[in-house]
Amino acid sequence: MTSLLTDHLITSLIAVPFAGIAALMFVRGDVWVRRVALGVSLLALCLSCVLWWGFDPSVEGMQFVERTAWMENFNIQYAVGIDGISLVLVLLTTLLGPLCVLASWTAIVSKVKTYMILILLVEGAMIVVFTALDLFLFFMLWEVTMIPMYFMIILWGGPGRIHAGLKFVLYSLTGSLLLLVGILGLYLQTGRSFDMQAMVGHAIPEDVQIWIFTFLALGFAIKLPMVPFHSWLPDAHSEAPTAGSVILAGVLLKMGGYGFLRICLPVLPEAAVEFAPYILWLSIVAIIYGGCLALAQSDLKRLVAYSSISHMGFVTLGIFAFNEQGVEGAVIQMFAHGVSTGALFLAIGFLYDRTHSRMISDYGGLQKPMPRFVILLSIFAMASFGLPGMGNFTGEFLVLLGTSFGGMLKVLLAMSGIVLAAAYMLWMLQRVALGQPRASLASIPDLNAREILTLVPLVVAVFVVGLIPGTLTKKLDSTVHKLLERAPVAIERTTSPGD
Amino acid sequence: MALFALIPGLPLAAFAILALGGRRIGDASHRVGIPAVGLSFLLSVGALVEVARNGALSIPLYSFFDVGDFAVVVGLYADQLTVLLLPLVTGVSLVVHVYSARYMTGDPRYRKFFAVIGLFTFAMTMLVMSDNLLVTYMCWEVMGICSYLLISHWAQRPEAGRAATKAFLVNAVTDVGLGFGVVLTFATYGTLNIQEILAQAPAMQGVTLGAFGLEIERNTLIALCLLSGAIGKSAQVPMHVWLPFAMEAPTPVSALIHAATMVNAGPFLLARLSPLVLLAPSAMAAIAAVGAVTALYGALVSLTQSDIKRLLAYSTISQIGFMIFACGVGAFGAAVFHLLAHGFLKAYLFLSTGDSLRATGGHAHGGGRVPSARARPLAAGALLLACVPPLVLFTGPYEQLWNAQHVPSAQVAFWAVALAAVFLTAVYTFRGVFALFGEAVGKSVQARPSLLSTAHLPGIAACGIVVTALLAGAWSRFSEFLAPALGALPGASEPASLTLAIAVALGVAFLGWGFAYYSHLRPATVPLGRREWAKTAYVLLLNRLYFDEIHRVVAVNPTLRASRWLLHQLDLRVINRAVHKVGSTVLAGALTLERTAESRVVDPAAQELARLVTRSASWLERLTETGLVDRGPDAAARALLRVSGWLWRVVDRRGTDETLTRLGRLADDTGDALQRHGPRTLRHHLVIIVCWLALAIGLTYLLAN
Repeated sequence: MTSLLTDHLITSLIAVPFAGIAALMFVRGDVWVRRVALGVSLLALCLSCVLWWGFDPSVEGMQFVERTAWMENFNIQYAVGIDGISLVLVLLTTLLGPLCVLASWTAIVSKVKTYMILILLVEGAMIVVFTALDLFLFFMLWEVTMIPMYFMIILWGGPGRIHAGLKFVLYSLTGSLLLLVGILGLYLQTGRSFDMQAMVGHAIPEDVQIWIFTFLALGFAIKLPMVPFHSWLPDAHSEAPTAGSVILAGVLLKMGGYGFLRICLPVLPEAAVEFAPYILWLSIVAIIYGGCLALAQSDLKRLVAYSSISHMGFVTLGIFAFNEQGVEGAVIQMFAHGVSTGALFLAIGFLYDRTHSRMISDYGGLQKPMPRFVILLSIFAMASFGLPGMGNFTGEFLVLLGTSFGGMLKVLLAMSGIVLAAAYMLWMLQRVALGQPRASLASIPDLNAREILTLVPLVVAVFVVGLIPGTLTKKLDSTVHKLLERAPVAIERTTSPGD
Repeated sequence: MALFALIPGLPLAAFAILALGGRRIGDASHRVGIPAVGLSFLLSVGALVEVARNGALSIPLYSFFDVGDFAVVVGLYADQLTVLLLPLVTGVSLVVHVYSARYMTGDPRYRKFFAVIGLFTFAMTMLVMSDNLLVTYMCWEVMGICSYLLISHWAQRPEAGRAATKAFLVNAVTDVGLGFGVVLTFATYGTLNIQEILAQAPAMQGVTLGAFGLEIERNTLIALCLLSGAIGKSAQVPMHVWLPFAMEAPTPVSALIHAATMVNAGPFLLARLSPLVLLAPSAMAAIAAVGAVTALYGALVSLTQSDIKRLLAYSTISQIGFMIFACGVGAFGAAVFHLLAHGFLKAYLFLSTGDSLRATGGHAHGGGRVPSARARPLAAGALLLACVPPLVLFTGPYEQLWNAQHVPSAQVAFWAVALAAVFLTAVYTFRGVFALFGEAVGKSVQARPSLLSTAHLPGIAACGIVVTALLAGAWSRFSEFLAPALGALPGASEPASLTLAIAVALGVAFLGWGFAYYSHLRPATVPLGRREWAKTAYVLLLNRLYFDEIHRVVAVNPTLRASRWLLHQLDLRVINRAVHKVGSTVLAGALTLERTAESRVVDPAAQELARLVTRSASWLERLTETGLVDRGPDAAARALLRVSGWLWRVVDRRGTDETLTRLGRLADDTGDALQRHGPRTLRHHLVIIVCWLALAIGLTYLLAN
């Protein structure tokens, strides 16, 4: 009995959403469907909290590892385990899960059961992606996340949902295909094994590394997304229903960054160093380009979508800095961006439920009828542009510290992206919240208790990461240290004119 | 010692209570803020006494983060510089709190107002006490957002929203410089602890950073980055544009911004890192230049402004410029002295006139009130407070500095700029004080001589005596006290003495007062006369040299236009279209493939194959149908059918099915009952959540044991 949970903690965590899906099949009545979905996602959150407290930050490498043979002919295992990076992302996933259910409480009225099943499905699949130690398992569930997202977009989305959904699924599939080629390459190069931990030690010839890296990086870059592979994102984000946008921006994009961290950096260090300059400059372009485009938006959700592109630029900037500050900054930025952008989508969703408009020009002076909403929206907008004391600042600042070893010009350019972020967010706030309230919006109801309950956990998370980031960095330190073990050697090998 | 952590802690606690307290606090908000800031003020005075007795003290608080070999510990550090500023910050904030309790009565967002000024006070005290550049930078930004929230306090006014956004964005642009400086400091020194940096700074001289083929000394670059931050927060040219607009905030906020927080941060930061700044002579020249230009610009513009709030704003710009100028020539002590005096003066000016400003609509030449007898000494005091501190600048020995700069003309420039600034300061201060305390223009002419004779003439006469006393006694004591906290120019160690320079400067100040009084007597004349160039200059200055328009044309509009261009031309037209092109090409290719390959190659082949298969199948059928192959399965199937039929009849129907039906009915009934009884309130949802949680925790507990 004791060992059932401690030995299979991750499997239990993975099982919760899937068991929830099975349970939902037999539940009748929308009210109970919602309650069960909420209960299941809360249970998953509890389990990931257990995981958080049980995690020993001093151990380098994976913890809570479980391995079972699955398809022995192909050397495929069911293998899961977590380190600091997985832990943070699993916590983020399970934190956003219940909030997505709560946000859809009254907004979704048709096919409630299907909707909740899709939310749980994508949550469960993402937990597996973040904990998988077997590349095949990783790739399989990577694919699975796409299907519920597609249905969420095309069934409950906005007016352009069919186009957005198709674009999302086709673009993602293309990325997955490239990823699959890369994964098969790795499989063949590392002695026909999908074991991610065993791969780390393998010395793969550098020219092969470069080929494999190209395919994997393209797959991850599309998911992340990096400029110029971003064009699916604004459409998908803006047309998806609230919970869909939250999952997309909050967790799904992080799979790209996670892939870079989990596979590209430790397994292909020489190729990573080789490609780093290009990726760093692409990140800078993404930060500024995304910021500029967000400034030009007239649609609230598209504005936040483009801001995501800008923020994800910081993630790749940190990852390819190859030092502790950069990588930990990138992970914290992933967490903080998931929280703040997820919260912005939730808030905009609540507004959309009331007015059915996403255009900034349809709003004005909201602080009069909706003071509570404006306070929360301001907090998340400020968090999003990296106000010190809030989550994104910690991530961005650490990333910038990490980048400073590689050149101050990049730091300066990336910082100008923060100014752009302040500009588009404050301008949005000025146009939406301040000014003379419009007559048509005079009687619009403020947020109710359920909606506030949805946003409050995220406020807490934003401030915890911003004010006591030590809680996160403590869990990450030894993991990142191990991750970067091979980086210095690789840097030396690729930069020294030995030949 | 740890008690002094409450100096920033109490305002923060007040903020937290007010922010989280809900509507119950409402009109009693000042009862939270005033005691907190009051206690904080008392503690600040205590800290002053403590540091004066025992020297600098530091209080580590908590580990912010620990990444690799780089750790940041949030801690407080109080030295002579800190404890001089703390009473100013908390004292002015206390006065502002008390004043606002009356001034803001009836405001619908009373609680929010007090919460934000509490946070503002916290940020400034923390900035002053921080021992770490990261925390300094964080407080720096938090002050920015506080000013944003306060300027947009009356949010229904569109100008308030615009002014707030403008203030924050202007600061955000310059803060890129400061943030860059923080990162560069980390990259150079490997730490962000201020005292460690200052200890290592001399050793880092000569370490350069290459960019675009230039080799710039890192210390110089860091000092320039600090200047960039100061340009924004302290409203220096050309980033001063936000401060006049910040007057959209309620008047007490102006007192807070101009006197205690925000604009003081720039000179403070330069003074805090003065040992490092002194190592970078070229950066100091830049600092002095920015300060001098701002001091003169602010003074000239404030001569032409008729709106009293704008006049005060430009006077602040000018005065802070003078402080930055003092920092630039290495006279950090003088800058701090000036900062303290200016802080008290501005707090006093704003608060003593807040009501009359509201009454007159904020125009200097509108109908002002008749000054009471009590106001006149106060006015004289204000005049004194405004004009004396700059004179302190002239006490420093600067020969070493001119030698260090290798520019002999710098000395001439220094004297010219400083004296011009003192003259102009005297003029506009006199004008401002007259406008605030004096008789309104349009009253009988006889009023003016009496004004002169009753209050101002003795006041001005007293100036000389007080100035002499102050500079001789208090100033040298003051600079001695402050010396350990500041960097000093080499050779400037001997206490400053009263020299001929001060006499000259004082003379210039008197000249300024005289000129101001003369032009005040004849308000119809434009101060600069009626010549053509003078009119042009007047119009230029009246429009503040068109800085706002320049910003809009040079920075704001091009950025917006570029963003829209990027969106439409690049993102939608190129990238998005390319993606669609790929999609449609693949589709077209697939269609072509279908038309050609499918119909011509694959289809006939498939048909051929099918025909083959059919033919062989029929051949097989013919072969086996009559044989054994056919009969065996037939018998087996019949037997299986019989057994399953029996199973279905006996087991399934009688046993399982009935039980299942019964169970299902039971579950249905329970569900219905639950649904009927479940009240659909939030509390109900919460109970359910709690039950789930309890269940989960119970399970976890059971399983874990």
